[in-house]
Amino acid sequence: MSRGFLGRLIDVFGANKTSWVGLVLFAAICVVALLAPWIAGSDPLEQSIIDKLQPPSATHWFGTDEFGRDVYARLVWGARISLIVSISAITIALVVGGTIGLVSGYIGGRFDMLVMQAMDVLLSFPALILGLIIVALLGPSLHNLVIAISLTALAPFARIARAPTLIVKERQFVEAGRALGYSHARIVFVHVLPNILAEILVMASLWMATAVRVEASLSFIGLGVRPPTPTWGGMIRDGFENILDAPWLSIYPGLAILTLIFSLNMLGDGLRDATDPKLRGE
Amino acid sequence: MTTPATQRASTDQSVLDRPVLAIDDLTIEFRVRGQWHAAVRDLSLSVGRNETLALVGESGCGKSITALSVMGLVPKPQGRVAKGRIDVDGQDIVRLDEARLEKIRGNRVAMIFQEPMTSLNPVLTIGFQVAEALRVHRGLDAAAADAEALRVLEEVKIPSAARRFHDHPHQFSGGMRQRVMIAMAIACKPALLLADEPTTALDVTIQAQVLGLLDDLKTAYGMAMLFITHNLGVVATIADRVAVMYAGEVVEIASVHAIFARPAHPYTEGLFRAIPRIDRSEQTLSAIAGQVPSIDRMPGGCRFAARCPLREPACDASSPRLEEIAPGHAVRCHVRGPARRVGMGAGGGVGG
Amino acid sequence: MFWYLVKRLLASAPTLIAVLTVVFVIVRIIPGDPALTVLGDQATPAALAALRTKLGIDKPLHLQYVDFMLSALQGDLGRSLVSGRPVINEVTAVLPHTLDLTISSLLLGSAIGIPLGIWAALRRNRLADYVIRIVSLIGLSFPVFVSGIFLLLVFALQYRIFPVIGTSDLANLGDRAWKLVLPTLTLGLVMVAYITRVTRSAMLQVLSEDYVRTARAKGVPARLVITRHALRNALIPVVTVVGLYLGINIGNSVLTEIVFNRPGLGKVIVTALNQRDYAMLQGLMVIYCFLIVVTNLLTDLTYGLIDPRVKQS
Repeated sequence: MSRGFLGRLIDVFGANKTSWVGLVLFAAICVVALLAPWIAGSDPLEQSIIDKLQPPSATHWFGTDEFGRDVYARLVWGARISLIVSISAITIALVVGGTIGLVSGYIGGRFDMLVMQAMDVLLSFPALILGLIIVALLGPSLHNLVIAISLTALAPFARIARAPTLIVKERQFVEAGRALGYSHARIVFVHVLPNILAEILVMASLWMATAVRVEASLSFIGLGVRPPTPTWGGMIRDGFENILDAPWLSIYPGLAILTLIFSLNMLGDGLRDATDPKLRGE
Repeated sequence: MTTPATQRASTDQSVLDRPVLAIDDLTIEFRVRGQWHAAVRDLSLSVGRNETLALVGESGCGKSITALSVMGLVPKPQGRVAKGRIDVDGQDIVRLDEARLEKIRGNRVAMIFQEPMTSLNPVLTIGFQVAEALRVHRGLDAAAADAEALRVLEEVKIPSAARRFHDHPHQFSGGMRQRVMIAMAIACKPALLLADEPTTALDVTIQAQVLGLLDDLKTAYGMAMLFITHNLGVVATIADRVAVMYAGEVVEIASVHAIFARPAHPYTEGLFRAIPRIDRSEQTLSAIAGQVPSIDRMPGGCRFAARCPLREPACDASSPRLEEIAPGHAVRCHVRGPARRVGMGAGGGVGG
Repeated sequence: MFWYLVKRLLASAPTLIAVLTVVFVIVRIIPGDPALTVLGDQATPAALAALRTKLGIDKPLHLQYVDFMLSALQGDLGRSLVSGRPVINEVTAVLPHTLDLTISSLLLGSAIGIPLGIWAALRRNRLADYVIRIVSLIGLSFPVFVSGIFLLLVFALQYRIFPVIGTSDLANLGDRAWKLVLPTLTLGLVMVAYITRVTRSAMLQVLSEDYVRTARAKGVPARLVITRHALRNALIPVVTVVGLYLGINIGNSVLTEIVFNRPGLGKVIVTALNQRDYAMLQGLMVIYCFLIVVTNLLTDLTYGLIDPRVKQS
């Protein structure tokens, strides 16, 4: 309690090497996405029929696709879509879901029961199927993807925020806070939030991995961000049609998705090991 | 020149005289943050046939780990026996490999644990769990093992044991589960029985029944029993001798009579004061103030000094040795040791 | 045991009703007029109205809801708007393919995942444990359409061992099994990874239980302590979690079916979505819920076989 957010963060990361490896890998992908205009080399949308379906070479590191576009450039720019969609979706899910959980847990009673039941129903739909239905319903676009994916991840964050709220609200310092005349909101945000930070981080990284997977899967099915915007899932979809002649079209984006999801899973898994007292130690 | 006959006779005699369990200079260590620390230090004690030695102390004093070490069950890799011998039937347990230990566990040495609710396997029938030891050690087939297991279950007085043979642990009460545990332990007629707070989790009437049962079985089988408890009231009903442990060391060892009549170590006295008394109206459970030091923060001098009412400068300077103050009665204390016995009264007795 | 199952079935009823309600709501708010979808732009207003009446979508919403719930509970799932065939026929035609894939990948996942999980738990924090944990994390990180394509590239295109297309003749068992190999590996990879991790943590939990110590104190050989005393208890949470995962895993089946061009529930769902076949979609969701309930019951049954405490309660 006495330590701030940053102190806790450092504690949590310091305890586990796996989470560090995941964090570094994830940060590297973020840097690539941020620097896309400078490191992509060529325009990801520029078509060149003469250069179509070129295998990897010195000029086109990862080859070219059926329109002669540079796969490396598309891959670098595609990282942005994966990251934008997953980070915004998880941020929304975290804020909205977390607020639902905090408020529901703090109010308690019948209201709490009803809210949590609704969350259970939401949770009983597999993320991809829910995403499929929502995107089909709203139409494929960046905004709708973010909305769909944030909805699939809402329930877990509501749960994660609720459970400790129930415990913490009974504890002494909340009583003390009330006695000092603090508002409910202040109690929740100052006292409850720091206590569940580690758990939230674990959930956020694991569900972000799911978000990346769902985004890529929807793009692969053809319900992602519309072409010609490069997305990793969409690149695999296009590459799959030319899999006999140009396997590199699916291999590189496939490896890119794998790396991003793996880094997030490492991060989440490592953090969980570090924060779960049952798994710690020998 | 001795003839083979006299040699055998003398060997037989020495076997009978030899204690079933002889622990000599035992040190058990645990690793805390990369450093080995002693949880049990220089411990020596012995238990003979048909004798019950009670090992008494608060939790965290090293009683349970001592018993586990006799089974060869010190948890690895965080724990190890650093030095000493543990002789059972004259065989040093410390130097045996896992395969040899498996032949001794549950066979020559058996153990009863504190928690009857969690110590039985929930998915196996109690009959099977008792018969299992017989199958493993006696090589009996299923039918013979079951028949013998049933006999043992009847011996520990499980009501309608035959009908309940195929029941699972969750269908039994805590007291009945502890009887099953006892049946499992004695199925192979061990020479040595280790009982780790076997009655702590039970309510008082059941406690008395189980204690009586254990005492009867000890006599019937002529077993040596090492009985671990923190409750001196229990000690009075079952023990022949008592070893009081504090922070990994024996601080006082004596016959049960001597301990109750003339407790010498201030820690022993503290334990006596901590017994809940029915004859006093107010609930004065005056426990000893403070806590057992954790194994990585052991003080340099007497380990009890920080909590001791008799503390003197000498107590912090050096650790006292375990020294006899009367035949069979030894104490580890600078103040109450033999050097200062002159003029000492009979300490704080139990009376009063 | 029987009453236990009945009780479990009744306990799942509120969730089932809630999920059906959500399905009803979602399907109603899909934009677009179903009648227009079926008859096309050229249809006369009279024809559209007639179809709306036939489909029952001209009634007030609450009556539609009652109709939907009643027919769903009676097993009447309606007809596809596109093909006109009963939903149930469309589903039963492809269900064997989906079951083949689900069951074979579950078997593969258990056959490899359980031993690996045990091994990792026994070697906790040693090299084998780290390797198994990292590899299983990679397995979990593979989107199935990526692993499916990689497997296709290697085994169907590079070495031409297995066929590219997973559509098989159900009557020809050899063909059916042969074409199942790559899809099973694809979906099974995820199951192996998942089951390994679940088994590992369940074993770690169980190995620290008092009764495992009791078994060792009895002199039971180490191998038997693991198989007889620890594993059976560890399987209890494994069965529960894996049962739940089977339902969640339907998203992965959809992608596997697309990659290998296999018929199955997943492809039917995607087709219905693309065609805005709302009647079909509604029926599919009901069937999906039904399958989840069946899976949960099977899980409970397995659970009851392992854990004696279940039978009495």
